[in-house]
Formats: sequence, structure tokens, C-alpha cells
Amino acid sequence: MSSNNRSHKAELVIERLGKKLNRQIVGSLAACVHCGMCTDSCHYVLANPDDPTYAPAYKADKIRKVFKKHYDWTGKVLPDWVGAKSLYTDEELEELRDIVFGKCTNCRRCSINCPMGVDFATFNRMTRGLLVNVGIMPEGVAVVSKDQWEIGNQMGVLKEDYIDTVEWMSDELVDEVNDPKAAIPIDKEDAKVVYSINPREVKYDPRTIADAAKIFYAAGEDWTMPSEGWDMTNFGLFSGDDDLGGAVGRRLYEKVEQLDGKKLVISECGHGYRSTRCEAQNWGQTDVNFKMESSVETMLDYIKEGRIKVDKAKNDSSYTYHDSCNFARSCGMTEEPRELLNLVVDDFREMYPNRGENYCCTGGGGAMSMSEYTPQRLKSAKVKADQLAATGAKFVVTSCHNCVDGLSDLIKHYKLDMEVTQLVNLVADALIIEEKVPVVEEVAPVEVPAEAVEEAPAEVLNGYSFLVTDDEPDMVVFLSTVLEDNGATVFKAHNGDEAMDIARKEKIDLMTLDIHMPGKSGREVFEEFRNDDDLKDVPICIITGRPELRSLIYDRPVPPPEGYMDKPVSEDDLIKNMKKILKVRS
Amino acid sequence: MSDTLNINNSVVDLVKGDYTDMEIESIVYYAQNDLKLGSGFGNAISMRGGPSIQDELNKFGEAETTDVVVTAGGELKTRHILHAVGPKFQEEYLSDKLKKTIHNCLKKAEEKGIKTIAFPPMGCGFYGVALEVSADIMFKTFEEYLSGDTSIEKIVICLNDNREFIPFHERLNKNS
Ligand code: SF4
Ligand code: SF4
Repeated sequence: MSSNNRSHKAELVIERLGKKLNRQIVGSLAACVHCGMCTDSCHYVLANPDDPTYAPAYKADKIRKVFKKHYDWTGKVLPDWVGAKSLYTDEELEELRDIVFGKCTNCRRCSINCPMGVDFATFNRMTRGLLVNVGIMPEGVAVVSKDQWEIGNQMGVLKEDYIDTVEWMSDELVDEVNDPKAAIPIDKEDAKVVYSINPREVKYDPRTIADAAKIFYAAGEDWTMPSEGWDMTNFGLFSGDDDLGGAVGRRLYEKVEQLDGKKLVISECGHGYRSTRCEAQNWGQTDVNFKMESSVETMLDYIKEGRIKVDKAKNDSSYTYHDSCNFARSCGMTEEPRELLNLVVDDFREMYPNRGENYCCTGGGGAMSMSEYTPQRLKSAKVKADQLAATGAKFVVTSCHNCVDGLSDLIKHYKLDMEVTQLVNLVADALIIEEKVPVVEEVAPVEVPAEAVEEAPAEVLNGYSFLVTDDEPDMVVFLSTVLEDNGATVFKAHNGDEAMDIARKEKIDLMTLDIHMPGKSGREVFEEFRNDDDLKDVPICIITGRPELRSLIYDRPVPPPEGYMDKPVSEDDLIKNMKKILKVRS
Repeated sequence: MSDTLNINNSVVDLVKGDYTDMEIESIVYYAQNDLKLGSGFGNAISMRGGPSIQDELNKFGEAETTDVVVTAGGELKTRHILHAVGPKFQEEYLSDKLKKTIHNCLKKAEEKGIKTIAFPPMGCGFYGVALEVSADIMFKTFEEYLSGDTSIEKIVICLNDNREFIPFHERLNKNS
């Protein structure tokens, strides 16, 4: 405690608040007339109509009172009248943390609905930064921030794992299109396009890398992926840490400059696009000498310019589009994704409200990494679930990896009959590529026995032992059958205790694990494996739709799972994921 | 402008790269009080070095700020890891504690007969110490320590990128 009875951290927060005040922030802090017009624009309020503590103006006042007390003349002259109040203890800072991280996704929907121009999301973000600066933040925010500061990406993906995944996707694509020219170029200098991605793609969704590569290949693009500085996401936007934001941006920009790339293309990610394209130059006090665009624009141009051909009949389901808050509301990217979507699907159904007025996926602002607030996040997702259900579509398309996770969680929670996908997947699925037929010398026909004509199934998992753990018998049958059909030996467990017993007796190369099981939960089984000297190295792929999974990925009480998949699981995705985890190349 | 500084019979070098993947006798990890490796470089150390490092750390339990404990490098390309519990997030008396932590790393290395050490920019990034402040404290501590009688031959400061490298480079060249 300092002499005025204020804790060291509270003192630092107040001091730094003064340094963060600029015209925009002061305007927002001073202008609120408490008219309440923003109240119903917030998804937290809609889910908690009887709880005033969720109202944007109420949350804002928790920060505003400190500003009034220390930096505004009204607080000096009429402190009681304007509600000026200081901060004294670390407990008060922790309460503030639970508001700015736990009760707001920084979606900016209230900001655009305020007639006085109050941008609450901006000073909510600033307050997050003040708390992070003194070490007060949710555990997941700390884990992810440290990864991005030190490893250079939000998910702690090591360079060798990134390269391995990109090379693996490259090999698969070369095989698929039967053309060595389809290989993904890494660190190619002077390329027209440098492609940056979200670490989630490397870790849990490599198909998006392969799909993007297929599109670049089909367009005949001169492109590359950097070996370092490839993460276009930026946790600084979420944590409010401008220094992190600047450091991440500069790392990415530096790599493009080092490769002498002409254009940086940012894969589909709302906050990644906003940070990289619009904010990080300011945070990092730097300029860039190359063009930057979203992959949505790149794909759209390819179709419009005739560089790729698509057949929308290949995407024959029904689709709606979710506008990411950062992509649409903050960056105005509302028409390009719709134009592209209409070029690759027939049945597009608009969601209401949409574009700048759309509701948050409720996983924004880094909420996916803050597992302590999961129940209130999912509760606040009711309005989004209603919006989705009203479209009647089978797929919700979004141009944001964060939204993919946020929407997946709420779809499971509200039991909607819907899947999430991205434009890159739909464009790749709709592509028309003429397969290269290898030139073979004519040879005399040889008589082949009839039974040998049918191609033998490639048993890619031959020699590997799996433990499938799930309480749903149908799921156990489905997973085991697919794995066995691909040559694997499969042990089956229907609950956690059975899984532990089998794992102790048999040699297991990989376990698939459901989270929600009666008795010992999947989470307990997972932690028991990780804390057991004999089992801690067994790779685990969580197969679930439960949001509890996020805390294993972000809080990391023990090393995170090697893979995860959302139910329902397709045969193709299951094998792809198993091969990735086991590093099996076909 | 040089990337190397000679102090008495020892040398301090600046390099760019990932120090958890470096072939060197020892590395310093900026540890937490609970000695859990956690994320960031800790994640790289446990992923590349294997579980034996955390197992060894668990035997120490907790540590005080400025303490340094030593483990083997597991499957890393380094033989020893100096887990240094440095000050964090603008805590009180930060400069003094940071200086003491760095000094303790050198002392502990010397006790263990270690001659070469790779340091990250101590306290920078996540824990919020400004690069210029860290560079100044690191160089001052090295100068004081290495000017005396020491068996430490070489210190490498390993920086991730130009943003980190430039302030350290400027500070090094202010001295030479
Ligand atoms: S933030 Fe704007 S809309 Fe909300 S209460 Fe204040 S003045 Fe009204
Ligand atoms: S920014 Fe979004 S989540 Fe935060 S208070 Fe405003 S409407 Fe609610």
C-alpha cells in the first residue's frame, strides 16, 4: 500500500489511465447522458434483462468514475454529483477485470447505437490494457498473450510443427491434383502474394490451409507462405495491450518486407484483419510499403477476373452468413463476402439483423480463451442462436476463425441443426480443376484377374492402435469402424474408468476422447493421462461439441490436446486429423 | 556497430532467433514463482525438451522472486536450464529485483561450472519491462559481474526480431 492507502497496482492503473487519454477516449468518457439507447443493443443485456450490471452505460460508469475523479474537472468540483470515485484495492481491480473481460466482447454494437458517439468498446479495451499492464487478467488471456509475445503466435505452435503441417497439406494437394506445381512455396522471395494465417488453422483446422493452397494453385498465383511471422492474428486487440499489438504486427510486416512480397493476403479472420490491416501500424509506430487485403477480396477477384472457375451446384445445401464484428462493423467488409458467397452457393439466406447491426458470435474479444466466463457467454448467445435458427439454413458461413469457434459452441449449446463453415472451404469445394493426367507410355495390355480390378483400400493407419472413448455406443461404432477400415487396431471404452484400464494394459498410439460422459468426465480422463508418467505422451484428440474443451486449449492446466474435432465428425475429417496427429503421410 | 562486447576475459554476443532451440551449454528461462513452465518459451521448453524438465522443477516446489534454480535440459540442445524467477508487471522495486535475478543467474551458473549462457531479453514482452530498461540493467549487471574474477566465458543475448534487437544493439554499442 502507498501512503494514500491505495495499492501499488491501483496506483499504477490510475497513473496509466492519464497517459491513455486521447480525444476519442475523453469524448466517450465525458459524453454519456445515460439515455439508455445503447442498452438493448448488447447481447448480454438481452440475455439478462433483469440484471442492470450488464448495461453498457453501467459497465462504462465503472471506468468513467475513475476518470471523473482523477482527470475531469467536473469530478473535482462536483464529485458526488458526477459519481467520481477512485480505486484503492486489488480486489476492486479484480472486480473491474470481471466486467471488462467477462461482461463485454468489445463487439461495438452499443458504440454504433449511441447518439452521443460514445464508443464504450474502445475504452473497455483500454481498461483491459490497464489491468494487463499490472498482471490482472483471466488465466487464458495470460497464456495466449505469453505465447504470442514469445513464440510469435497465439497457440504456441512451434516452427517445426507449422512447417510440418504446411508441408503435409502441400503433399496432400500435390497428390489430389496430381501436379507437383501445386506444392506450397515456403519463404519464396519476390512473390506477388504472401499468405498469412491463424494458428488455429495449423493446430486444429489444417483443411483451410489446403483449401487456400488449392485456390492459389488454380488461379496460377505466384504466392508463398512465410516460415516465420505467419500469424496474422493479434491478441493485443483483445487484451488491450498496444505493445503486444505493435510487436505482433511488426513481426508480420518485417517478414513480408524481408521476402520482398508485393501483397499480404490475410486469411479469413475478423480480428486478424482489423489488427493487421487497420491497427497494428499505429500500435507499432511503423509504415508498410506493400498492399494488404483479406483473402475474401482475393478469392472474389479471382472469380471476377476469370482466374478460377467455380460450379455453385457443388455446394448444394442452404447457407446463411454471419458478419464478424471486427470484419463487418469495424472494417466495413459487408458486401464482398456476400458477393463471393452468392457466386459459390445457390441457396443463400440473409440473417436479420445483419452487416453492421449483426449480433456478436459471443466468442469475440478473446472470450473463447476465458473459460471462467463460459456460462455467461453461452447464456448471452441466445439472441445469436435465435438469429441463426430463424434462417432455417443448414450452414452458417463466416469469415472469421474466432466466430467459427464461438458459433460452434452456441450451435451445440442450443442444439441447432447447423454447421459452421468458411468461404475458403466453399470456394475450394466449388472449384473446377482439370486433373492433370500423367503421360504414360503405351504398353501392351495385360490380363488382370477380375477381383484385382477394384482398387485395394489404402490402409493408411496400418500398425497403429487407437483407443476410442465415448459414452454414445453409436459414436464408438462409427469411429471404430472408420479407423478399422483404414487398417488400425481399435480398443473401445464406453466410460472414463474403462479408458484408464485399457490404456494401462495396452499400447495405445492415440486416444479419441469425448468430454461429456457420465461418471469420470473426459476432462478428468484427459488430466489423468497428462499427469500419469506412463500415459502423458499418448496423443489425444478430443471429439466433442462441448465448450469445456476451450479451457483445455486456452488455460492449459496440462499440455493441450493434440487435436480436437466437433461432432458430428465426417469420415474424411476423422482420418485427416488422425494422420495429422500421428504425422502419417499418405 | 558491433554485435559483440568484450568485458575483461568474457564476451557478450547478440543474436537473433529462438533461444529454446539453440545449441548452447545453458539457457535462462524467466520463470514464475510456482515454477510451472506454462506458455510462451515455457511451452517451447516443455514441447521440445520433454516432460522431465517440469518433473525436475516440481521437486523444488515454489521459489521466491530473484531465486534461480537449475534443471537439466531434457531433450533440448542445451545441457542446463537456469529457471530465474524475475519480477513481473511493474511490481515494486522492479529494477533492483531484475538486477538481482540476473546476478543470481551468473552466480548459479558459476557454482555449477557453467561457462556459456543464453539469455532472453529479461522481463520484456509479457511481463512488461521496456526493452531499453532491460538492456540497460542486463549490460550493467554483466559489466559488474564479469569485471571480477569469473569462470563465465560467454553470454549470448537472444532476441526474437529487429524490434527487440535494435535497443540491445544500441545499448551494447554505447559501451564499446
Ligand atoms: S453510451 Fe450513449 S446510448 Fe448509451 S446511455 Fe450513454 S449516451 Fe446513451
Ligand atoms: S461492446 Fe458489445 S458486448 Fe460490449 S457492452 Fe457494447 S454491445 Fe455489449
